[in-house]
Amino acid sequence: MPGLLEGVKVLDLTHYIAGPYCTKLLSGLGADVLKIEHPKRGDGVRWLGPFASGKTDSASGTNAPEDGAWFLYLNTAKQSVALDLQSSEGRRVLLELAAKADILVENFAPGGMDRLGLSYSELHKINPALVMTSISNFGQTGPYRDWKAAELNLYALGGLMNITGEPEQEPLKEGMPLAQLGAGQNAFAATMAALMYAEETGEGQQIDLAIAEYATNILENALMQYSYSGQEYSRVGNRGYGRAAWGIYPCLDGHVGIIAGPDHRWPEVARIMGREELSDPRFLSRAGRLENADEVDAYMLPFLVENNKVDIFKAGQESGLGFSFVATMKDILEMEQLLDRAYFVELDHPVAGKLIYPGAPIMPEESIDAWVFQRAPLLGEHTTSALDSWLSYSEAQVSELITQGVLTQGQGV
Amino acid sequence: METPPKNMPLKNYRVLDLSRIWAGPYCTKLFADMGAEIIKMESLSVYDSHRGPVTPARGIAAYPDGEPGEEPWNRNGWFNCLHMSKYGITLELTKDEGRRVFERLVSISDVVIENFRQGSLERLGYTYQELRKHRPDLIYVSMPAFGNTGPWKGYLGYGIGQEQLSGMAHMTGYRGEGPMKSGINHGDPITGSHAAGVLMAALRHRRKTGKGMFIDVSQQESSVALMGPEVLAYQMTGQEPERQGNRSGWYAPANSYPCAGEDRWVTIAATNEERWQNLAYATGIAGLADDPKFATLEKRRENHDELDRIIGEWTSSQEAYAITEILQNAGVPAGPVLRGPDLLADAHYKDRGTFVTVDHPQVGLKQYPGIPWRMSATPGQVRWPSPTLGQHNREVYNELLGLTGIEIDQLDETGIIGTKPTGSRII
Repeated sequence: MPGLLEGVKVLDLTHYIAGPYCTKLLSGLGADVLKIEHPKRGDGVRWLGPFASGKTDSASGTNAPEDGAWFLYLNTAKQSVALDLQSSEGRRVLLELAAKADILVENFAPGGMDRLGLSYSELHKINPALVMTSISNFGQTGPYRDWKAAELNLYALGGLMNITGEPEQEPLKEGMPLAQLGAGQNAFAATMAALMYAEETGEGQQIDLAIAEYATNILENALMQYSYSGQEYSRVGNRGYGRAAWGIYPCLDGHVGIIAGPDHRWPEVARIMGREELSDPRFLSRAGRLENADEVDAYMLPFLVENNKVDIFKAGQESGLGFSFVATMKDILEMEQLLDRAYFVELDHPVAGKLIYPGAPIMPEESIDAWVFQRAPLLGEHTTSALDSWLSYSEAQVSELITQGVLTQGQGV
Repeated sequence: METPPKNMPLKNYRVLDLSRIWAGPYCTKLFADMGAEIIKMESLSVYDSHRGPVTPARGIAAYPDGEPGEEPWNRNGWFNCLHMSKYGITLELTKDEGRRVFERLVSISDVVIENFRQGSLERLGYTYQELRKHRPDLIYVSMPAFGNTGPWKGYLGYGIGQEQLSGMAHMTGYRGEGPMKSGINHGDPITGSHAAGVLMAALRHRRKTGKGMFIDVSQQESSVALMGPEVLAYQMTGQEPERQGNRSGWYAPANSYPCAGEDRWVTIAATNEERWQNLAYATGIAGLADDPKFATLEKRRENHDELDRIIGEWTSSQEAYAITEILQNAGVPAGPVLRGPDLLADAHYKDRGTFVTVDHPQVGLKQYPGIPWRMSATPGQVRWPSPTLGQHNREVYNELLGLTGIEIDQLDETGIIGTKPTGSRII
């Protein structure tokens, strides 16, 4: 199972969400990803629940948990090296690894790498072809560089929050941290571009990717209509902006997505809903539906609340309409389309046991081994093997560093 | 055509881009940002629907000052923010001469990308096998809503639907209320960004092996990939995730709070105990930091409504930026809910050049989101505005395919290429 990026060496100094999602895509494509973790605490996301062992809350105690849902998913196919970067010996080992790496990804607060004596200029000296991808909340420059932020604040400052939620209620964030995850995705694309450039020219570089800027980059018309005509976009709840019969509606067993459009397909919507009133000429155009939005909804609801989400979804799709439904986690795990395409993979983890994971976000043809599917590592599980394979350290050298407290080797379970 | 940029990462790659709307165009936007040569191909009968209707009503805000003008399809901000630094051509694949030209374009392209409804290109006779006859090492990216196999392969999907079918919408919403869509269509950029990275890995693989490949993108699978932690959590707890509004399962308080002014809000997140203490002191509310009702995470969760009320009273008389300053100075994560005008005027984004001013021939100077990251060795820049319909027909067909002026005129006269739409069914 080699993977498309077999042989690419990645030094992964990321933690929590955005950075790890970037390096998860690299490790998933077969790159050799060494996740550097603090010997005791590990990646902070290890401490966030829920946990397979049944603890449902943030963990306490002295040993970093191995079985949190977020850690397990975001760190598949990586190797964990437990290394104390604060110690001078730890820094020396890190510099040796950096000399061998093609890519280094980090998401410390700006200045964090400098304080560890690992600034880009330092790393560039020992490895001019190194690609260093720095992911941060607001970027490595600018007045907000040192601001603290959670997903909530990034979503707000990135402009996405203003347009999510009901107009009369407070602005809302997404349930998933999509600013951080999306920034991780873009960091993966940026890293790949820089890697290709480095391989062609021998010239490495630093990438400065700000999570808040990812949000500003995907505002699309929510920003453009202000830029073009000075008209602000606003919150419209579950209705599409400037649309009617276009959004999330309740149904018998959950919620469905109705998408009315284009106009010439509207008679199909009316037919599915079984209400002649919907064929009223007043509703035939998008503008007409918008003007009479409440009336249109009132005619659709009786059908919707008497039918199941999957049935409504399919009734629309079989008529060529892009209906959808709000899937629960159970729905996702049982979805016939995903099962037919063998999307999920089952991974067995020594602490968390067997769980079903979403597989490749994008799948090249079957004849090519594009992705590797392996569980997340235990803290320090690969310390000895990685230092052997990257730096040819002897067991004695590793033992010495373990004695000094610079490294720890995970015991396995 | 423009001289290729000197030092941009993807300058050696040419992408024949048949994609439309957002998911595919976001992928090729990132490629264009990195210096690739993107040939965006549209049909005069069915152009990219992000260009808007052929005869839109006046007053739609996506047009400059709400004025569609004589060629509305060239003046739509939805389209014009996604195609900068791309070449724009038109071609009718339903006509034999158009097909011959298309096949020649394929033969000189490294990548063909499309996000039609599944099977559309195949119905025109262009399977991956067929395309490879014209370019043996071609990489073909096909990104229909649900992928190219399976019982739902022919189904239609939009980014807004993918938020629902991936479970994102299930998790989003006010506490105790129904699921909520986002203000955009997250499924599109999520798919486009994943595709951009994987496509670069495929190009790199081709550089090493000489082999192209077929990349089957299911927009749904790409979106579900971001739901992984919750898919695992459900298996661990047996519980569906609850809609939390702006709260977090990991810390408290967190919310958006009203500020002075109409529809003005500030977000505050006390992500650990120290930050909660800092927040409590920064508000200056006597006794808040020591109030036993808020002393522990469990207590703050239990009394979150009351805490929201207290914080909301404190914020409601002040400016969102001012509160942010106070709290950031105290080390508390906070930030204003920025609206369109705020974004374009914001000091940080100005300092970083987040938005760029571009001069479009039919729109004039307007601001757009720029390249979403900075690179030290290959900084790059937006090189030209989004193309008008068929703007680069002559350059591409002459300079890349070697067609003569007379041959190009003929294509024009027979309606195979052109700059004026012929379709009426464009939404």
